Amino acid sequence: MTATKMLARDWRGGELGVLVMALVLAVGVVSGISAFTTRLQNALEQESHRFLAADLVVTGGRELPADWLLAAERSGLQQALTLQFPSMVYAGDDAMALASVKAVSDAYPLRGEMTYSQAPFGTVLAADTGPGRGEVWLDSRLFALLDVAVGDEVTIGEASFIAVAAARTEPDQGSSFYGYGPRVVMHYSDIPATGVVQPGSRVEYRQLYAGETAAVASFREWLDPRLQEGQRAVTVEEGQPGIGSALDRAESFLLLAGSLAVVLAGVAVALAARRFSERHHDYVAIIKSLGATSGAVNRLYGSSLLLLGAIATLLGCLVGWGIQALFFSLFAEQLPVQPGPSGIRPYAIGAVTSLTCLFCFAWPPLRRLGHASPLRVLRRDLPMENRRAFFDYVLGLLAVTLLMWWYSQDWKLTLAVLAGLGLTVGLGFCLALTLLRGGRLVGMSAGSIWRLALAGLQRRGNANALQVVIFAMAIMMLLVLLLVRTSLIDEWQAQLPEDAPNHFMINIGPENVQAIEQLLRVEDITSEPFYPMIRGRIMSVKGEELPSTDDVQEGRRQREINFTWSDTLPNENRLLAGEWWAPGSDEPLVSLEEEFAERMGLEVGDEVGFLVGSQPLEARVASIRQLQWQSMRPNFFLVFPPRLLADFPATFMTSFHLDEADKGFLNRFIRSFPTVTVIEMDVVVEQIRTIIYQVSAAINLVLVVILAAGGLVLVAGVQASVDARVHESAILRALGAQRRLILGGLLIEFATLGLFAGLLATMAAEVSVFILQTLVMEMDYSPTPWLWPVGVFSGALVIGALGVFSCLRVVSTPPVRVLREL
Amino acid sequence: MIKCENLQKRVPMAGTELEILKGITLEIKSGESVAIIGASGSGKSTLLGLLAGLDEATAGSVAINGTDIGALDEDDRARFRGQHIGFVFQSFQLLPALTALENVMLPLELQGQNSVEEQARHYLQRVGLAARTGHYPLQLSGGEQQRVALARAFASKPAILFADEPTGNLDTTTGEHIIDLLFELNREEGTTLVLVTHDQALAERCQRRLRLDGGALVGE
Ligand SMILES: Nc1ncnc2c1ncn2[C@@H]1O[C@H](COP(=O)(O)OP(=O)(O)O)[C@@H](O)[C@H]1O
Ligand SMILES: [Mg+2]
Repeated sequence: MTATKMLARDWRGGELGVLVMALVLAVGVVSGISAFTTRLQNALEQESHRFLAADLVVTGGRELPADWLLAAERSGLQQALTLQFPSMVYAGDDAMALASVKAVSDAYPLRGEMTYSQAPFGTVLAADTGPGRGEVWLDSRLFALLDVAVGDEVTIGEASFIAVAAARTEPDQGSSFYGYGPRVVMHYSDIPATGVVQPGSRVEYRQLYAGETAAVASFREWLDPRLQEGQRAVTVEEGQPGIGSALDRAESFLLLAGSLAVVLAGVAVALAARRFSERHHDYVAIIKSLGATSGAVNRLYGSSLLLLGAIATLLGCLVGWGIQALFFSLFAEQLPVQPGPSGIRPYAIGAVTSLTCLFCFAWPPLRRLGHASPLRVLRRDLPMENRRAFFDYVLGLLAVTLLMWWYSQDWKLTLAVLAGLGLTVGLGFCLALTLLRGGRLVGMSAGSIWRLALAGLQRRGNANALQVVIFAMAIMMLLVLLLVRTSLIDEWQAQLPEDAPNHFMINIGPENVQAIEQLLRVEDITSEPFYPMIRGRIMSVKGEELPSTDDVQEGRRQREINFTWSDTLPNENRLLAGEWWAPGSDEPLVSLEEEFAERMGLEVGDEVGFLVGSQPLEARVASIRQLQWQSMRPNFFLVFPPRLLADFPATFMTSFHLDEADKGFLNRFIRSFPTVTVIEMDVVVEQIRTIIYQVSAAINLVLVVILAAGGLVLVAGVQASVDARVHESAILRALGAQRRLILGGLLIEFATLGLFAGLLATMAAEVSVFILQTLVMEMDYSPTPWLWPVGVFSGALVIGALGVFSCLRVVSTPPVRVLREL
Repeated sequence: MIKCENLQKRVPMAGTELEILKGITLEIKSGESVAIIGASGSGKSTLLGLLAGLDEATAGSVAINGTDIGALDEDDRARFRGQHIGFVFQSFQLLPALTALENVMLPLELQGQNSVEEQARHYLQRVGLAARTGHYPLQLSGGEQQRVALARAFASKPAILFADEPTGNLDTTTGEHIIDLLFELNREEGTTLVLVTHDQALAERCQRRLRLDGGALVGE
């Protein structure tokens, strides 16, 4: 008899369906998630490139060489030019305002888009290109400041322009701190006409490049050695370290999710194969009594399995493709960019998963069929022997480990999941066996529903222990994922809360501090404390003079920096070494930022020399601090005790939060305090939040898929024991037991299993999450007390419900039918 | 034909051993029909399983046509069964996923024969089920299922046919039809028949009767 023939016959019997489903699911979920994450990462990366409006940006204070553009052209890269400078803008007879002008070429932006509106503060529209020649877009506020309307003329330097629209946002707004003051956007070719850009002006030239990743990388290689003093090349990873780390963690999470999908898929296949093999036990006994040898039986099932595997893999890849396509179609609106192709790798991963599942999870129980005793044709109750079960479990565990490692390429992550799994399995068997044994004593004196349920638990002690472990594994993985997701998203949100400061105010004269503080209070705007700011120059380190060069590549050089003073450790700063000084101290001390100290080669106790104005200042390093750069609060490399700097002239700075709707405040403010500079960071903060929002959405989505996969494992686990329970319940019903008794008994039985599983799962999840957060994600771990009741009770509830639901047919079909089928 | 000596079967049970067969010695000649009778639980099925090479004895030996089947391993015994032995069971033991015809073809295919369909059809016709070849076991009545089982048993032309309570799951009239058919086919094919039953009337139709009680032979 050939395998195909048997498969065809079995298919009609309907028993292969379960196994095929599990395999298709395994391949589908793994390849689907993998394709989804690949494409999503791709999309997010593109999205993050919008922060630069390009893939690579070169900046410089003087005009950048034009032959770089030619070289880029030859490599097939797109290119654009921008120039940014502060300038006065005039309108009418006497209106004028200081603006931050940005001149852009036609191709700008290469990534993302600019937005404008037809009237100040009007409906936001997207634009492919900036204003044409002779035209400008003005910041909405400028219309009021200059008292002009759309269509009026404004003057920059020696050239006049028509204000055609209100400038709203540019993708790379946040990548430059030159952006003080309201924005004016003009065409790049109009620069010469204005005559305002002279050698030595404070301007920033940019060349923007975009193209294939490889082409960009090789151009970068070509470019790097040609960069001169004062020129810098930046990619998004370098430009936005905050977003970079958010993406890294998101990637870890998605890999974790995929790895868990692999494990869950393996478990589902193993369960299905077990059930398949149990159901084929009679079949094999009969054909063996008719003369089939165990070799023949093995060949039969082996070749069937291969054939099945091939079909299931193909179907699974299709399903995987469908899953990711579905996700993208569901969430197309939340994704601002088209996701790129996923390539073949996700499907290759799916195929390898399928092969591994077949060999390590499906084959062992089927191989056992070959050893089934033909005596079963005479004695139905003969159990299947399973001497190699231990070996099978080890094989399965090994397979899961390798698969997970191969998939995530991250041994720490693999270890974390494995530790949780190991704990579940080990503790699970001990706990389950002991507790289930203990149940008998209690049950004997209880009512009949309980006696029935506990007897059921007892009778299938081993099978139940296995079931508890499987349930616990599935629940554990879901809990791990839930926990990691929650803490990840919490942390991101904590970094940039809704009311995070999004505007900076600098150049506040000491005489204005009180008035501004008062104004902010009146306007009900919360701000950070006002920090004094003194500009000075670092001259010597540990008694050694620093070279006076302007080369930015040189870390140890004389340079201008801003200091502040404070009696207390500033908010959100963390002391890494040394001690903070006592309030009121007049000792010559200084506290350094971690990376600055490293760059200068300074440690606690070292001497540093400064020049403030024309006066030298010597100080000893008292402490080293870590800052939260993403926090949008005033941050300083150097902090001194107040009394030490009391005699030097200082200006003050602060940061505060302003809602989009309250932006009008800035107009009033600038009129009252014309000398103060306001830096608007709200667009940047919003952009960062958008990215984080999208990553969070993606993470939630993947969580849902894994939840579904976990749910399926639970269903498969329940199904595995349904056959036996259906038979028993049919007998009970034939004996006159009522539905309530039977369903009640089943509910108690399954809920008890679920309770144990939930307990185990919670313990293991805590261990796993601990390892994950400390080792893989580099986050702070804190235990989660709410997890315990949630894990335990949801375990009992879900499994109890699933169990009863799966066994409903017990009470809905006449018992004779059930008994005759068996 | 079948020769067994001091056949014993013990199974471990809750610390002690349960002695199911306590040393059975018997001989069955070629072409003979023998009934094994006894109360339920007396060890009839166990004895049949050992004689047919479905199980291994704790002690003693079984030889069929001079082959000591206790000395064979399970695979060799399987081949031996396929070549020489046919079965009819109380619970029919048809494969539910296969049609009547496919069920009858199965042992022939396992013997490695080609063009087995003709042969299978012939035997199905012989048991009066020519019109039901494409039906699945669940679409057949108990009597019809047992007739398919008979066709399957005889199709492979076994030297010995073992039947374990072949009428146990059937009503009296149907049971009698099956028995008539069994003996008819047995006569035509010249098969040796070993039949387990607690039905006295059925036992009477065999040439010889062996009575089991508590795992021991207590006379003919
Ligand atoms: N493998 C076994 N394990 C435990 N008990 C067995 C086993 N095989 C048979 N028995 C017991 O041996 C006795 C005889 O069984 P069996 O041969 O099936 O009796 P019969 O067919 O005469 O009714 C029964 O009590 C049965 O429970
Ligand atoms: Mg019996």
